[in-house]
Amino acid sequence: MLASVKGFFRRLEKCLPPRLYNWLITAGLLVIATTLSYLFFQIMDSPNSNIALTYVLAVFLVARFTPGYGYGLFASIFSVFFINYRFTYPFYALNFTMTGYPITFIATFAISSITSAITSNMKEQARILSERDRALMIAEKETMRANLLRAVSHDLRTPLTSIIGSSTVYLERNHDLTESQKSALIQHILEDSNWLLNMVENLLSVTRINNQTARVNKSPEPVEEVISEAVIRLKKRLPNARINVKVPDDFLMIPMDAVLIEQVLINLMENAIVHSRSEEPVECYVENTPDSAIFHVRDYGVGIPPERLPTIFDSSSSTASTAADGRRGMGIGLSICKTIISAHSGSIQAVNHTKGAEFFFALPKEDKEIDS
Amino acid sequence: MTHKLSILLVEDEKNICDFITTALSAQDYRLTTAHTGQEALPIITSQCPDLILLDLGLPDMDGMEIIRQVRTWASIPIIVISARTQEQEKVRALDLGADDYLTKPIGISELLARIRTALRHSNRLNTDSPLYKRPFHAKGLTIDFEKHQVLLDDKEIHLTQIEFKIISLLAKNSGRVMTYDSIISNIWGPYADDDNSILRVNMAHIRRKLERNPAEPQYIFTEIGIGYRMVEDEMH
Repeated sequence: MLASVKGFFRRLEKCLPPRLYNWLITAGLLVIATTLSYLFFQIMDSPNSNIALTYVLAVFLVARFTPGYGYGLFASIFSVFFINYRFTYPFYALNFTMTGYPITFIATFAISSITSAITSNMKEQARILSERDRALMIAEKETMRANLLRAVSHDLRTPLTSIIGSSTVYLERNHDLTESQKSALIQHILEDSNWLLNMVENLLSVTRINNQTARVNKSPEPVEEVISEAVIRLKKRLPNARINVKVPDDFLMIPMDAVLIEQVLINLMENAIVHSRSEEPVECYVENTPDSAIFHVRDYGVGIPPERLPTIFDSSSSTASTAADGRRGMGIGLSICKTIISAHSGSIQAVNHTKGAEFFFALPKEDKEIDS
Repeated sequence: MTHKLSILLVEDEKNICDFITTALSAQDYRLTTAHTGQEALPIITSQCPDLILLDLGLPDMDGMEIIRQVRTWASIPIIVISARTQEQEKVRALDLGADDYLTKPIGISELLARIRTALRHSNRLNTDSPLYKRPFHAKGLTIDFEKHQVLLDDKEIHLTQIEFKIISLLAKNSGRVMTYDSIISNIWGPYADDDNSILRVNMAHIRRKLERNPAEPQYIFTEIGIGYRMVEDEMH
């Protein structure tokens, strides 16, 4: 009820010129106060104090809901004169000889100006706060971008060096090499370029996220189709990967950008296969809860070092992981997962269970942004 | 085979041209290359290749324009080559009349499979062979179009009318991707709702009846944002 009244006023404010809107508010409140006063005047024996209070309230509200001092001052002057003219003896005449009248005057003026001052102060503070928020957000985005760029350049240089090195050796030392050495070189080139491609696709996927709003275009997609395509695409690259997939029996449609969620699933599954150092198949399943779908990717391997858990989704930790297990880090992959899931208003987490590591992310079933 | 099948490759990147040429010439296809759209169109009209491999990102013109022009007078199979994330582009190309698409990076085995599928479908149209009447068969799944019967490992599967229509449409086009829109207008008619969720729901039912694990399909594959593809018919 209150929200709909608020909404009505907001719409009114949008479609009218601001000055007309403010005058309308002032006039409306004064008309209400006057109507009430007439009512009191008709039915009460000594309505004076009630009438005065009604007008004071109206003045207060005018000062609260209009910008600057003007409208409040106008309302208070109008009130003082109108009460004097209409509701105090002698009726239908102005008479300022009554004792204590200056006090009434000063009190109403004071109420209106103090309220106006507080209101403008409040608005100013809200503006400063929101500006600071925006500046913080921009700064955060900048740091994220810089971190990403640094991590990317580092991670791109390594495979490129290997590709260039291998092909140079192949071309320049062609006669000295045995057949098996040659095919090993080519094999390395293939692996590294595949890895590069995967990285580039990850980075490109981020460009699907709207830069201004950090949101994505969602459309309802069947969960099972997204998972099955992710598994098929991953198996094209890692044919020996063992993955157990399970989806809920009920048909589940979740609003999402399917290409991006597919990317997240591929990153998490690949991460599990490469880093778990275990032959056990990776498990991927979906849990259906009343307000979200939770996607789990669970491996039965060495788990995640506990000290890395809090920062695992930050791209800066990729170098650390490279050093730790001698493989190329999934730092960028994971930070992209986090970016994608946040853009879906979802949440992503990494935990250790008793026999390995588990990543899970939740996607909301309803689009919250549409409601609010 | 007495005469080699001819393929026209329209692609501006020389390195990509080179490796596709090497791969295809080993497979006994006769390959012509064109690096621009202006170069490609006269070759298509004069030589009438059996199949066109078309990269959509050409330097001089939009690849869509080539599809549109070719489709005004010929049904030569066209396979489009495009980047992964541009689903809208793929859907547009397919709706304009392209037969199939390949996603970069192109795997050679996949390229060969798509070429075979596209050539087979075009032959089917030309020769009026009784292939449509022959049941579809792949990995233990048999679809008999005449008897309206679907067998999975010799056990009959009960499908609703709509479900059977969808699966036979996909089976008749096995190996090719069918866009959501083309399936919907084939099954529900040209004035059907744009919303494809009814198709998705029907697909989910079919999948639960046919696939052992709906998350790891054997027969019907999803191409997210584009459509569905049925596994290749084994008897050809």
